[in-house]
Amino acid sequence: MPDYTTAELIAAFLARDLHDGEFVVVGANLPVPRAGVLLAHLHHGPNMWIGLSATQTSLLKEPVLEPFKFNRDFRAAKWAESYMLHEEAFDSPKLMSDAFFVGGIQIDQYGNSNLIGVGKEYRRLAFRGPGAIGTTTVSTYTKRYYLYLNSHDPRVLVERCDFITSFGWGKGGADARQKLGLPGGGPKYCVTPLCVFDFEEREKRMRLKSVHPGVTVEDVLAKTGFTPIVPTRVPETEPPAADELAILRRRVNVEGVLRS
Amino acid sequence: MTAERASRVLDEIQAAAQVKDGMCVIIGGHILSSHPMPVIRQIIKQGTKDLTVIGAASAGLEVDLLIGAGCAKKVITPYVGAEALAPIGPFFKAAAERGEIALWECDEGIYYTALRAAALQLPFLPSLGGLGTSLPDVNPDLKVFRDPIAGKPLLAVPALRPDISLIHAAVADAYGNVQFVGSGMGDRAHHRAAARTIVTVERVVSNEEIRKDPLATALWNVDAVVRAPYGSHPYQSPGFYLHDEAHLNEYLTAARAAVKGDRGPFTAYLDRYIFRPATHAEYLQAVGFPRILSLYEF
Repeated sequence: MPDYTTAELIAAFLARDLHDGEFVVVGANLPVPRAGVLLAHLHHGPNMWIGLSATQTSLLKEPVLEPFKFNRDFRAAKWAESYMLHEEAFDSPKLMSDAFFVGGIQIDQYGNSNLIGVGKEYRRLAFRGPGAIGTTTVSTYTKRYYLYLNSHDPRVLVERCDFITSFGWGKGGADARQKLGLPGGGPKYCVTPLCVFDFEEREKRMRLKSVHPGVTVEDVLAKTGFTPIVPTRVPETEPPAADELAILRRRVNVEGVLRS
Repeated sequence: MTAERASRVLDEIQAAAQVKDGMCVIIGGHILSSHPMPVIRQIIKQGTKDLTVIGAASAGLEVDLLIGAGCAKKVITPYVGAEALAPIGPFFKAAAERGEIALWECDEGIYYTALRAAALQLPFLPSLGGLGTSLPDVNPDLKVFRDPIAGKPLLAVPALRPDISLIHAAVADAYGNVQFVGSGMGDRAHHRAAARTIVTVERVVSNEEIRKDPLATALWNVDAVVRAPYGSHPYQSPGFYLHDEAHLNEYLTAARAAVKGDRGPFTAYLDRYIFRPATHAEYLQAVGFPRILSLYEF
């Protein structure tokens, strides 16, 4: 048995991809990406700017980052250096987030995401999703984003989304976003409880980048609703290091949500 | 002609009476925070129908409640729910799946673009956000067009023009100077886009109090101020109290039963909290002061 959980593994993976100096918003109801952002900040991002609960700040000197369960919990404003006026947050990519996390009730092989619903007819959905929230616009502008899923399921990872709320790489091709004039860098990785996908450079189709320790390529293929590109050698996702686990457990996730 | 500056203070019954059948209202706040609930409850009590309800950029269950109570004909918002308590509002989900309400599908960026177009009295404003997505397919009035200068595709986002903006804030004076604790969410954009603005506040303060910190005045010249202590309950009011999770779960249990065909608990909820209390004060009494006072936690 490894001495870390899958949630801690994913948090560490995300943290390593965030850079010092970046502004990253901690989203609502996403404990694992939250932990990844805060780990990056405390581990190697002393000049990062953290967006949370409609504020921007640095949390470097805070011994323990208590969690706030809800997006607009005003108690988080005790840390605020500035407020986010929500109607202005979409006026400039500088106010959105340098990196962002997008979920989906469906995500397709080209990284397009659907938060509207499942069904062929919009007025008669079999399953109504929560709605696009801010993902359509932020995914248009942000330098890069991560597709993030809490479960790895063939009904979620599908060949084609029934609807698209975040345009990833469309129907594929490295110029798919450029053709539409979308300024942002598009989805970089899709992270699930089983594996990490990246996007093959030419086709921009999902490619298995790593499987989490204990997971096989066959496990992933059996639970994915499309056929990803599988390289001849698929490495394991790198486990969290001792110093990363120490920060996660002592400062970021003291209450233990990532351990349960 | 008197030389007195007129008070704009109304009670929630007078304020809600301005909301008529078929109007378009926009509700402030953000998910579990800052909704003008005494006016929302009074709209339900007075039986207003066929509203176009524009929720906050991310709405909480106040929009779900208006759907469940039969007040909404059309709903426009990028999200209706209560995060971990309910990823999606039960009535919103059911009404959307059954085609019982009309929807206009958008994300938060497109939403504010539409409100800015209304404020500027423009028919539309262009957007890059939404290109390549299904939004133009599901909203026939959201149109892809060619930028007349560079010839590139853009999305034309039509104006969303609310008749009345309903906002909850920390304090206001009697003349319509409004101050928030915290950011004020997206409420400034609502005020700019709407023909009229009604604001419920935790406290009505003196004009001198407002003048201590004019930089904090986020909205001025609002049309009506409603004195409503605990007026965002069961949602948070920044600096005053947290959301009431037990009450929200009581609502959710009733709403979930209603969409499965058992409307009894929801009818009881409406009776207890909306139809029976004659005023906001009586609503607070129905909730109970031990509960209300337990919400003040930092």
